[in-house]
Amino acid sequence: MMKDMENKMKRRWGMAIDLDKCTGCGECAVSCAQENNLPIFEDDSDIPKKMTYLDVMRITNDRDAKFPDVKVAFIPKMCQQCEGNDPKNPQPPCVSVCPVVATDTGDDGVVSQIWSRCIGCRYCQVSCPYEARVFNWWKPKYEGSFKKSLNPDVSIASRGTIQKCTFCSHIWKKERDKAVMKGELDINAVLYTPACVSACPTGAMVFGDLNDPKSEVSRLARDNRAFRLVHTIDQKKPDEQKKFRAIKNFPNPKVYYLSSKQWIRDLMRFK
Amino acid sequence: MKKIIDYLKNEFNSYSKNIRITLMVLFALVAGFLIFGIQILFWGLGYTDMNNNFAMGIWIIGDLGLVALGGGAFFTGFILYIFRNDKLEPLINSTVLLGFMCYLFTFILLVFDIGQPLRAWFGYTYPNWGSHLMPQSMLTEVVWCLTLYFCVLCVELIPIALKHKILDSIPVLHYIGHYLHKLMWIMAAVGTFLSFFHQGSLGGGMWGVLYGKPTWFRPHYFFLAIVAATAGGTSFMLLIPKIAEKVMKKKVAPAESFQSLAKISGIMFIAYTIFRIYDIVVMSVKYVPLADRSFIDLWGGFFGIWLLVVELACCAGAIVLLNLKKFREQEKFLFYGVICGVVAVVFSKFDAVLHGFSVPNFPWKGFTGYFPTIQEWVVMLGSFATMALIYMWFAKYMPFFPHLEKEKHKEGGN
Repeated sequence: MMKDMENKMKRRWGMAIDLDKCTGCGECAVSCAQENNLPIFEDDSDIPKKMTYLDVMRITNDRDAKFPDVKVAFIPKMCQQCEGNDPKNPQPPCVSVCPVVATDTGDDGVVSQIWSRCIGCRYCQVSCPYEARVFNWWKPKYEGSFKKSLNPDVSIASRGTIQKCTFCSHIWKKERDKAVMKGELDINAVLYTPACVSACPTGAMVFGDLNDPKSEVSRLARDNRAFRLVHTIDQKKPDEQKKFRAIKNFPNPKVYYLSSKQWIRDLMRFK
Repeated sequence: MKKIIDYLKNEFNSYSKNIRITLMVLFALVAGFLIFGIQILFWGLGYTDMNNNFAMGIWIIGDLGLVALGGGAFFTGFILYIFRNDKLEPLINSTVLLGFMCYLFTFILLVFDIGQPLRAWFGYTYPNWGSHLMPQSMLTEVVWCLTLYFCVLCVELIPIALKHKILDSIPVLHYIGHYLHKLMWIMAAVGTFLSFFHQGSLGGGMWGVLYGKPTWFRPHYFFLAIVAATAGGTSFMLLIPKIAEKVMKKKVAPAESFQSLAKISGIMFIAYTIFRIYDIVVMSVKYVPLADRSFIDLWGGFFGIWLLVVELACCAGAIVLLNLKKFREQEKFLFYGVICGVVAVVFSKFDAVLHGFSVPNFPWKGFTGYFPTIQEWVVMLGSFATMALIYMWFAKYMPFFPHLEKEKHKEGGN
């Protein structure tokens, strides 16, 4: 009975991002950095070493194309919260590899990271097919008045550790604490919104429980326009998928992208 | 103090010009290693050319290479003590020291490579063992197996040090050395057992389990790395005493020892090349297409297919030069053969790390490049320089090559 209830209460947080609505304004990336206390360096044009959980990737149909043939879109890319072949027993590519158990998948499906446990071996970063994990190459710096705006709910990571998007799970914890204060018993029923989603001015990002078939995110994930980032097994027939999955795990991300533009969908596979 | 300086000066001036230049270069590299090592440990990995796309670099290639080449120690010990190939006895001291140093510097480079060196011990206190008998993380297996095997190598190294005439004259130490030597087959067996695991895990399994990355994923990679270590490691164990022989201008071991080890290495290279070709075929037809990509397309970019071509060409060179008696018995070809063997294994590590990281994860991105910074080069070359100096010290002051000792004894007798 208790176990059934626990199963019922479990969440499977996921996200849907409508690329046709995204303007590439970068508000999501800024709010993510602010919410998660990400440092700013003098020269953040060194993009490969930049600390960012949410990277707004610019894609184009053809690098050499000129107006009016050029088409551009922006893909907000964060940790895709992979779950492997079996959602009931999530095995993201990055979790099992950690030598010191600094990363794990919670029963809400979110891949966590304990900065203070991380030894900075970067093996998880190597294993991530979405380049979603970032390393503190330099000592984090918060200059001037920026220190005053630091978020007390998120700990600051030391130099030499891996950090990643956790779907702002600290906000969920805060929301659940508030619910407990109000006398709410079923704390897992509490919903929340990550910083990037609340900041999106066009409503391109939707967040919710993929286990709840009535949630908007579930509906969008089932939409004909939905696809997952470079996850070509989705395009295979069911029996072929089954055959492939018997050979190896596939990331199975919980972030869905939506677009009606064929050139964006075509870009999701290597030619 | 003045006496010590004078002694060192006289000692230094007693060497030939070439040796003096070599020593100066080696000491300069060691000094650079210390300076840049401090910079990296205190100010972090920002000074390297590694980044969030190219997360591992020259030090990991060095680690993989050192472990694979140092793996010759376990395999040579295994052939000598378990298969009782006594011809290898004159080379075993050098082999044990090389293995010891390779593993020691693997640890040192790993400490430089992790972002939080002060938390390095977390690998022992919070191992990711999972719920099964075998560790869940390949890196946990690497940490534990390397540590245990390093302990075995320390025990194997003690009798060599105890054979020094001053230490050997102390009865207790003499007996300890004697009985440790007698027990060496147990150490060889334990070392082989441990070595199989970490050779497989660091060289291959660590990469083979990364199912999100088509450039690495293959379940048999673990075993391929073991075979690579047995082949390339034995070549390395032959190459270094051969270089010592050239530098010292003395025969450090009987020709039959070198021939025997060369034959073993040659045979292992046949096995490795067959396995590698199988690996390429299976990757192209089975594992890479799972990710909807083609094997050949993964081999573009800055480093590209030439790494694979050089590796296979060197494998062919090692097979021909080490297996055919007419080549193997000629000093020059034997030398080329073992160099081919060492280069083949080092290039297989380039394939894995240097090329593996350059492969793009998104179709709209290109292949990425990496060129180590001065800090990375100096730390790496400084490690090799330290290893060379330790080896030179052992070769000069320790009863390191029993064959040489016997010859000396004969000369003395005459």
